[in-house]
Amino acid sequence: MINLEINGKKITANEGDTILRASLNNDIYIPNLCDDKRLRPYGGCRLCIVEVEGQARLMAACSSPAVDGMVIQTETPKLKKYRQTIIELLLVHHPLECPECDKAGECNLQDLAYEYGKPESRFIRSRKTTKSDIRGPLIELTSRRCILCGKCVRICSDHQGRGAIGLIGRGFPTVVQPAFGETLECDYCGQCLDVCPTGAILSKPYKFTARSWFLDEQDSICPFCGVGCTLTLGIREGKILRARGEQGKGVNDGNLCGRGRFGIDYIYSKKRLTTPLIKKGEEFVTASWEEALAHVAKSLTNIIKKYGPAAVGAIGSPRCTNEDNFALNKFIREVVGSDNIESSAAFGYEKVQKVMTAAFGTNNHPVNLESPLGKEIIFAVESDLSVTHPIFGLKILEATREGSRLITADSRETKLTRHSADWLKLMDGTSVALLNGIMHVITEDDLFNKETVTGIANFDTFLASLKEYTPEKTAELTGVPAAKIIETAKALAAAKSRLITLSLSLSENTKGSAAIKAAANLVNLLGEGAESLQIPAEYSNTYGSYNSGLRPDSNKPGKGLKEMLYDSESFLKAIYIMGEDPVINFPNSTAVTEKLKSLDFIVVQDIFLTATAKMADVVFPASSWGEKSGTFTNASSIDQEVLKLVDPTGQSVSDWMILKNLSLTMGSDLGIKKLADIQHELKSYHEKQKAPEGVKAFLTVHHGPAEEIDSRFPFKLVIRDILQHSGSMSTRSKSLDLVISEALLKLNTEDAERLAIRDSSHVKLSSKNGEIYLKAVISEDVPMGTVFVPSHFPYARINTLTQLTPEGDAVIAGVNIEHAGKSS
Amino acid sequence: MSLKVDEIIGVVSSVLDETQKKRGTLIHAFQEIQKEQNYLPEEELVKLSKELDIPMSDVYSTATFYKQFYFTPRGRKIVKVCTGTACHVRGASKVMDALKNEFNVGDGETTEDLAMTLESVGCIGCCGLAPVATINEGIIGEIDSPKLSKMIEDIKED
Repeated sequence: MINLEINGKKITANEGDTILRASLNNDIYIPNLCDDKRLRPYGGCRLCIVEVEGQARLMAACSSPAVDGMVIQTETPKLKKYRQTIIELLLVHHPLECPECDKAGECNLQDLAYEYGKPESRFIRSRKTTKSDIRGPLIELTSRRCILCGKCVRICSDHQGRGAIGLIGRGFPTVVQPAFGETLECDYCGQCLDVCPTGAILSKPYKFTARSWFLDEQDSICPFCGVGCTLTLGIREGKILRARGEQGKGVNDGNLCGRGRFGIDYIYSKKRLTTPLIKKGEEFVTASWEEALAHVAKSLTNIIKKYGPAAVGAIGSPRCTNEDNFALNKFIREVVGSDNIESSAAFGYEKVQKVMTAAFGTNNHPVNLESPLGKEIIFAVESDLSVTHPIFGLKILEATREGSRLITADSRETKLTRHSADWLKLMDGTSVALLNGIMHVITEDDLFNKETVTGIANFDTFLASLKEYTPEKTAELTGVPAAKIIETAKALAAAKSRLITLSLSLSENTKGSAAIKAAANLVNLLGEGAESLQIPAEYSNTYGSYNSGLRPDSNKPGKGLKEMLYDSESFLKAIYIMGEDPVINFPNSTAVTEKLKSLDFIVVQDIFLTATAKMADVVFPASSWGEKSGTFTNASSIDQEVLKLVDPTGQSVSDWMILKNLSLTMGSDLGIKKLADIQHELKSYHEKQKAPEGVKAFLTVHHGPAEEIDSRFPFKLVIRDILQHSGSMSTRSKSLDLVISEALLKLNTEDAERLAIRDSSHVKLSSKNGEIYLKAVISEDVPMGTVFVPSHFPYARINTLTQLTPEGDAVIAGVNIEHAGKSS
Repeated sequence: MSLKVDEIIGVVSSVLDETQKKRGTLIHAFQEIQKEQNYLPEEELVKLSKELDIPMSDVYSTATFYKQFYFTPRGRKIVKVCTGTACHVRGASKVMDALKNEFNVGDGETTEDLAMTLESVGCIGCCGLAPVATINEGIIGEIDSPKLSKMIEDIKED
């Protein structure tokens, strides 16, 4: 810590802070236009000039380090005069279009002009008049308003690791543009919108919707991934118009990805459900709440009477709040009396928890979003965290900038592979073999932690299981050269600190429990604790819903998703589905559809008429995120409040309220009158859930080819996430739809040539489970014999092709590709 | 194209990290490409961006900063007409206009058959000879009507 004096106030600052940083941290404002704490000092705008005692010249606070004992003045008549001149010069060219500029009212340049500007400029020259570049989706570049601070360019390349725009040209005609003046094609994170100090970069969806001073801004938690970023939402006349990130708030500290920033308009989709629906014959008819609730109550009661409560099951949602899920949990257990309940976490995060518990003996495994920082090695295994959890991905990039060595194992180029020191290009679905191969080298060379492994169960069996994974054999299985495997193993073993990170979710099929087991083994072998393995929960409330009772109790005979939806045994007669679309989102949708068809009664409460809802007997319209209050628990186990910001759509009602009303109709009282009652009870429920800690163990796993690829289905179908979407919710966002609106099948150039498939032509994709039609895109990024497809788009029905293993993993399926028109 | 980064930047390479080294070779690479191709074709810059792992926008941004790099094919004869103060006074604009009309190109443009590129430049440092123009390396001074006709013939001659 160092001591300085600014404007007569004694302050302390961190060693290495700039004067500006030290000053802002102590709530002393110094005008600036080109500084951002996420970026390196730039010294472009010169507005942050200050007077330092003993220095003859003025210093730019943003690029001068604070020194112990400095005495600084930030507001003197001299500085005022200088700053006036700078603003005057900026305003020579900057067009004064404030009346028609969306930035007005929250524009740094406007604010500073108001504070320092003079009504008459001494300089007269033409103002910039270039037209706005409105070609790209979501983001509009208006270079005539640009003051060339370069913040957008720097945040894009230095912070986001993207580099989509540059300062093109020199001097007066310089513009911010993509290379060659092409249309902006980027991650659409919109970070440039937040950092732009003028109206040069503006959001297209928000354009001309509200003057900033009419916006009521409130903070809530993003409904998409498990990071749980704080969104600052601009609301006007009962409508959410935009989201932005604000520094100093939430786990994201002002960073946002495109999903959170642009995707929340899904709540205004025209396809939202507005009234309860009851199926009469083949058709749905609209019904009143009373009618629908009475119908469900009667039907469920009958089924319980006839078959017993165990014939009823429920599926909860990682998209719904803790309160919603806990209400469902209470409903199914207390009112129905069944214990059959689970959520899609069964295909994702639940596996992570189970493996972590088995391997480390601990119970809860929140991630630490700061964990990448300061690690010597970060090893990302077949996971693109900058896509699945973009803000966690940013932390990994930040760590690499600060000197961490990033090693990625992935089959295709991703943002992480681009920023890694080493990219192990492995074949899809072979991470178990790779990890075993790495551990083979570590054990053979005696590089593991001998003190700690003795205390971990099953070491000998585990050791024996690694024997066959010689570097040569592993190279053959994974496609990664043997030398690389040895090098990585040695680097991992020699590092002083390491982080192994993966993602595991419903929307990918390249790895399952086995990969996590192997990663956990590696961590145990190196003598590290569970904190060295970071696997974030997938959706906004996956972590919270999992801990709100969305799983069968271990000491009761309850059934999970696998038994309910996939087992041939037909104990289930009725199912209550809240905020989930199993027909689209779960593997092997043919099996799921068959199972649902066989049921006597299906209730779905959702915000959209999903494919599953279409099969229901009764559909309840639920209020979406933003229309109801509650809490989300993010992947690092932080409970965060989600606010009701706008009125519910149509007659929709909060999920927990629907369940409360249904319980009342069924003659039971859940003991809930208001939201606080659930929260109170949830708290004591969490207390009770704390189980004693177990022991550490090695969990022997082997590489198994996911599914036989035979001559009938010669291609490997790889399902991975894409940046602009998260589950199927985001596909209802008008804004995100502008960026990517359809599931495209990516296949290798040579494969396409061999099959005579042209770019953008329609193809038929078939597996032993079914067939779908997609548009094909030819790409060099895809390995031979593999096809990539994202799972997000409901209409594409990717899960028609997928398969669920007995272990509950969705695995790479064998598929065949043909011209859509060809008869088979 | 393979870039021998260390070779290009010499002794300095020992004090730079890999990223800095790559950035440091950009200008050399531009010069090499331009020497071979006469300009910087988009596909070459894309290759360079991949090879050096520098975003395309950054590569393009750097290239556009320097006036010496071109992004469209250039003519076999580069005609530079000095429009500095002395030449301006002595009628550089007439020379420029005559060449524009004759070859049907604007300032900075190249004829369709890639025969010539016309450019106006600032002072080329021999004001005593105003008005001055250059064709590739050759200098033509004190341009008058006959000299201009001769110049046009020279340019047309392949």
